Amino acid sequence: MNQISCRVPLIDGVEKVTGALRFTADMNLDGLLHCGLLFSPRAHARVAYVNAHAALAVEGVRAVFWHENTPAHHYNSSIWFAGQDALKDERMFAPVARHIGDRVAAVVADTEEIARHAARLIAVEYVDLPPIFAPEAALTHAGHALREDDIPTFRNPVADEVFIHGNPEAGFAAADLIVEARITTPRSHHCAIETHACIARPEPDGRILVLSPCQSVFAVQAVVAQALNLPQEKIRVMKTPIGGSFGGKAEPILDPLCAFFALTLRRPVVIRYNRHETFTATRTRSSVTGRMRIGLSSDGRILARDTETLVDVGAYCTGGNYLPSSMLQRLVRLYDVPAERYRGRAVYTNTTPSGAFRGYGSPQIHTVAEITLDIAARRLRMDPVILRLRNLVGPGAIEPLQGLDVGNARGRDCLMRGAAAFDWSARWQIGTGAGRWRRGVGVAAATHINGCYPGFHEETTATLRLLPRGRAELVCALHDLGCGADTTLAQIAGETLGLRACDIVIVPADTDTCPYDLGTRASRMTYICGEAIRRAGTVLAAAIRTAAGLELNAEAGDLRLAAGAACRPDGSGLTLAELAGRLFARGADLPAATETYRAQANPGSYAAHFAEVEVDTLTGRVRVTDYLAVHDVGRAINPMLVEGQIHGGIQIGVGYALYEDVAIDPLTGRMRGDSFSRYTLANASVMPPMRVLLIEEGEPTGPFGAKAVGEIATIPVAAAVVNAVNNALGTELTHLPVTPERVLAAMNL
Amino acid sequence: MMPLAIAVPADVAELRAAIVSSMNPVRFLAGGTDMLIAGRALPEAGLLIDITRVADMAFISTDGSDICIGAATTVATVASHPGLRARLPALCNAAAQCGSVQIRNRATIGGNIANAAPAADLMPVLTVAGALLRLIGRDGMQSEILLGDYTPAHGLITDVILPGAGLLRRSAFVKLGPREDLAISRLNLALLADFQNGCFGAVRIAAGALSHAPLILSFAEAALSGRKLEAAVLRDFLSTLAAEVDAAIPGRNSQLYKRRAIAGLGLDLIAQALGLSPRDRLFEEAVE
Repeated sequence: MNQISCRVPLIDGVEKVTGALRFTADMNLDGLLHCGLLFSPRAHARVAYVNAHAALAVEGVRAVFWHENTPAHHYNSSIWFAGQDALKDERMFAPVARHIGDRVAAVVADTEEIARHAARLIAVEYVDLPPIFAPEAALTHAGHALREDDIPTFRNPVADEVFIHGNPEAGFAAADLIVEARITTPRSHHCAIETHACIARPEPDGRILVLSPCQSVFAVQAVVAQALNLPQEKIRVMKTPIGGSFGGKAEPILDPLCAFFALTLRRPVVIRYNRHETFTATRTRSSVTGRMRIGLSSDGRILARDTETLVDVGAYCTGGNYLPSSMLQRLVRLYDVPAERYRGRAVYTNTTPSGAFRGYGSPQIHTVAEITLDIAARRLRMDPVILRLRNLVGPGAIEPLQGLDVGNARGRDCLMRGAAAFDWSARWQIGTGAGRWRRGVGVAAATHINGCYPGFHEETTATLRLLPRGRAELVCALHDLGCGADTTLAQIAGETLGLRACDIVIVPADTDTCPYDLGTRASRMTYICGEAIRRAGTVLAAAIRTAAGLELNAEAGDLRLAAGAACRPDGSGLTLAELAGRLFARGADLPAATETYRAQANPGSYAAHFAEVEVDTLTGRVRVTDYLAVHDVGRAINPMLVEGQIHGGIQIGVGYALYEDVAIDPLTGRMRGDSFSRYTLANASVMPPMRVLLIEEGEPTGPFGAKAVGEIATIPVAAAVVNAVNNALGTELTHLPVTPERVLAAMNL
Repeated sequence: MMPLAIAVPADVAELRAAIVSSMNPVRFLAGGTDMLIAGRALPEAGLLIDITRVADMAFISTDGSDICIGAATTVATVASHPGLRARLPALCNAAAQCGSVQIRNRATIGGNIANAAPAADLMPVLTVAGALLRLIGRDGMQSEILLGDYTPAHGLITDVILPGAGLLRRSAFVKLGPREDLAISRLNLALLADFQNGCFGAVRIAAGALSHAPLILSFAEAALSGRKLEAAVLRDFLSTLAAEVDAAIPGRNSQLYKRRAIAGLGLDLIAQALGLSPRDRLFEEAVE
């Protein structure tokens, strides 16, 4: 092994830290026009009249767009392939504004300053309509989400998922203890460093090129085609370097507008959102209200579980109708629950739409489940680690929803080794201390998926090709979101070819040159794309050995690829650069291999997190003082990047537990947390010392045994922290974030 | 109206001349951490005077009886000045908790006063220190005014004077924000006090973020002045703090929280002023 399990630095790290990498907002195309958008100040209002005269009179303004002069096609920005069945309820500009921050009009002008200035001059008459902000109230606005002619009605629910497994009534009847809790999780925002941006350029052949910092060029193509009612082949999408996404850029929000403006004006157009716009006019994590009832035997065995979730998807459906079922899919993979009932509903409200965010429902449902389970442990006076161990699934378990094998599931190892490393049994105790500052410890377990199998299109195609100078080109529609997927995948390719990661030249994702791929979602990069690349690399390695064998007059099977060369057993041989040079000189094709990998499994990644907190009982402030994250990753291709993912996941999770909430005002629908001065993230100084322990027992279906870590890293954090607070105070805090006010209120102070 | 004009005076004489010369509204730019924030409307007319190049407006003088701080002195300089830390550590502590490193490196003490939000961190300390402001009015004349009487209409702040007679030997500043640092204060407290032989002498306390301007907590001051440092006195002090919150923000959503949380801040304040740990037994006894 020369690349696997190595702490290889990011292959694009130097370009990033030196500022050489050009992000979308940095790109300056010839003749580029700029946009300024006008957003609704009303939560729910008909756009009765738009007067653009004053804006059009500004020198440098090229056009003003609103609902009357833009396509009226409904679309859904969460689709990832053409023809995907999804509730189409968005328009570029709708005649009814459905949330504060909804798009009303756009000015395209010679500069962004002119465009933004002119946008402020657009006069709009609104006719207010009754808004709905609370998801519970939204349930009363009931009806079919679509009329018979497919016009959206915005009635609720947009999803209603019911699942029953076993006999829940019998399970509850046999239970020694029944625990019920109502948990609410906040709307959090991605807070990527790069705000949203997109460029579109008309091409000489009549097509449109979209340059987008996205998670899937094919998703962008599908959404733009649907919104503009154009054939897909008319749209080419290239991924630009991305300054963080976390799911926030999974949906093409600006791209349809940008493409339409560019096509209409026959000029390249850029849209750049500022921070306020990125907060109020893109996506958030959906807030969830979960009611969970668990029936347990006195020895801690879960006998039955009943869960109801209510998901606030905001003003547009996007992918929100999948959330209740996604949460269910992740819920049933963690514990062996013999009897289960689940109902999940998703509803529209007149608030900023929700969308993908690291974990896609998993942080919500595992937070609900793990806090409820901890309350059960407390009432049973049982060690919460032991309670979890008693119920966790093991390797080869079959989950009850889709009947899938969870693979080499090592959640128990995470808990047991984590408990030992954290010195859990010495630190955990029932009952609170005394005094102003109270310490407590908490634990939470989690699982997450590896890809979309058995869903549509869970396959990918990788091509690896030897290059003239002995490096290798990788074509696989890859979308690194900044966390190092390109580096990890280059390590996999390099491992198969005896090359270094930096010898792998990754072709940026491009709908014209790359085969279809779902994109970076569902924790699938390492597990799915990595396996396709490993297979392509293995085939290419054989082809290289064959070609080298002919050059060296040796048996291909006797040759080994290492350190950029094909070597005989005695170490002699020729470098891949020499081999490529000779082939190239003769006009022979350089070896290449293309492999399509269709997933056959969807194993679970598992984790157990341990947190210690200190709570100031006078001010309600919580400080996380120690943290251990234990992850079943199968095999860490790059331990440094795995640790980086986990550290970042803890940061998001601590914020989710203690600080983050865009805080929609329940009376006005206005987002209070709409800037970094009003939206509190966990920053460096509040982060605890973090330890990471990796369980590397190998997943047989993963590349070199690897499984995903990207999303699961943040999933158990909030529950571990909240459970630690409850342990410290003897409280049953269930509303997140656990702000100082809520801490004091829970203590009845 | 004429479009925005810019002046960049090099010294106080040029500064005064620029102020007097303009018939239009005059705005001042120092660190720019309020004016230049994206999303805020910049002045489009009148005169904008950049005071960052004015000689002798950025200094701290602590050698005389009074402390004098030039209005263009950055918050970072205030935070790290050894002479100031020796005489009024609370002001250094407040400055050190004001915004981020980048903000502190740009923002000025004059700007913090002129643009003061209710949560401005320097204001409670300057209030308990009895700060005077030296100004240049629109007529170019110099004047002095009490901090509490100042509004931006009075003119440009050139110096902040902390009269020596008002400085007490002990001082402290504590704040409570949505997170430990890089946070806007939800509540902050500043204290100046004399403390000898286990007893408080004179005590001055002000709170930020309870009103539009720092609020003098006179009942809390009285609960400590002339009293011995002991648990019973601290309990009285905490009761008065809660009462001060009740009086300041009756019925407001944050009242319930702040009337409790101010107890924690109050103990931290005393501990910092006296060089004690808030985890000392005495403080635990005060809340048992």
